[in-house]
Amino acid sequence: MNDMTRTGLETETATAKISARGVQVHYGQNHALKNVSVEILDRAVTAFIGPSGCGKSTFLRCLNRMNDTVASARVSGQILLEGEDIYDPRVDPVQLRARVGMVFQKPNPFPKSIYDNVAYGPKIHGLTRNKAELDAIVEASLRKAALWGEVKDRLDAPGTGLSGGQQQRLCIARAIATGPEVLLMDEPCSALDPIATAQVEELIDELRASFSVVIVTHSMQQAARVSQKTAFFHLGHLVEYGDTGDIFTNPKDPRTEAYITGRIG
Amino acid sequence: MSDNELHIMSAFDRDLEALQAHFLKLSGLAERALTDAAKALEALDSPAAERVIADDAALDELEEFIQMEAASLIARRAPTASDLRRVLAVMRGAHSLERVGDYAKNVAKRTRVLPQSAPVDGHAGTIRRMSALVTRMLDEATRALVQKDAQLAEAVRKRDLDIDQMYNTLFRSLFTYMMESPANIGPAMHLHFIAKNIERAGDHATTIAEQALYLATGRMPTDPRPKAGIETEG
Repeated sequence: MNDMTRTGLETETATAKISARGVQVHYGQNHALKNVSVEILDRAVTAFIGPSGCGKSTFLRCLNRMNDTVASARVSGQILLEGEDIYDPRVDPVQLRARVGMVFQKPNPFPKSIYDNVAYGPKIHGLTRNKAELDAIVEASLRKAALWGEVKDRLDAPGTGLSGGQQQRLCIARAIATGPEVLLMDEPCSALDPIATAQVEELIDELRASFSVVIVTHSMQQAARVSQKTAFFHLGHLVEYGDTGDIFTNPKDPRTEAYITGRIG
Repeated sequence: MSDNELHIMSAFDRDLEALQAHFLKLSGLAERALTDAAKALEALDSPAAERVIADDAALDELEEFIQMEAASLIARRAPTASDLRRVLAVMRGAHSLERVGDYAKNVAKRTRVLPQSAPVDGHAGTIRRMSALVTRMLDEATRALVQKDAQLAEAVRKRDLDIDQMYNTLFRSLFTYMMESPANIGPAMHLHFIAKNIERAGDHATTIAEQALYLATGRMPTDPRPKAGIETEG
């Protein structure tokens, strides 16, 4: 009976990329995230699901210190990337974000050419020595983002002129151009039509060969389709974390069951 | 138990309830077919046997309808967790009930060709008791499934042993009968196949009980089915 819970899973052998231990987040008086501990695997897609305000996006934003920019936010606990505490005062958030890339809900290409959008990160991080190297990174990133074939003849055209799905893939290319280890995606398909969504999902599945991917999604079917591990958040708690197949066929916690089956929990 | 709570989308609940109502109806048809077939055998009533054979079409049709409805529910509602297990369990259970219908039909077909002189007396009575037991198992297994009752399902599963033992006893008796006179071989073979059909129907009741356990617990029972092996030495 476990046949359908095992397809496409090689997570047994995967190692942890990020280890979160007892993470708490306060926004002023609001206790948004309560004692979350989780191991996020390398070369796997982890989906965060849960109702609005459950803390899933808050936790995602902790993983590359995006909450640093929120004045009222207080983060405690420990988040280790490859064993290194990312909240250590010696860690430069800008360098961290080159290792932990982010893709947002709405495609947000810079009002620049397709080429410049992708070249931006490698340039500011000084990852290349000359134009030829930069060209190579741009091409490799666009290829990984499954966009190269569609844009290779118009790299000078503005990124904002692409379709929604293409823009999102451009943003993914931009995020992977700095050679990150982790890719965070906050509802990357919510502004896309079903075809573009399928293309981005296919891309996510390919990306897990090289990255640890974490995706926040409101679409449970999307979580079921693209992820190997699923974490369910509710009222700031990480309620359940496990193999996606198990979560969707036989969740252990009644709150998870109530949420994923569309019941009033 | 969150499974007993209502879905936010009430049409989802209506679809699930309709599916299970049809499943219960199918179970009713299968139980009646088995009961009627056993009665027709005991009375050697050919017209009654013909009716059982004719009625099987309704069972097949309802089973197909349930499979289509379940497929449509999966496509439209994308059920997960216990909802998904419920739909899967009903699909598999419906398939088992359809097979029970086929077995009842086979019993009726053999009844039709049994000569009036057939040695049905003691044997037909045992077969009727066997089919009554299987009928009850089917009723309880389908109820266990719909009510997600693991205890009831487990009880049904254990009871399959009784059926196996009755079948084995019957087999030995028929075997002796056949050794007595070659003239008994024809009718006794028919009676044996009838008993075997009913024993198989009992296995399907067990299968449905196992689906009820899958629904209730999320996994199939791992311990082997209780089984009484056949002993052929006379």
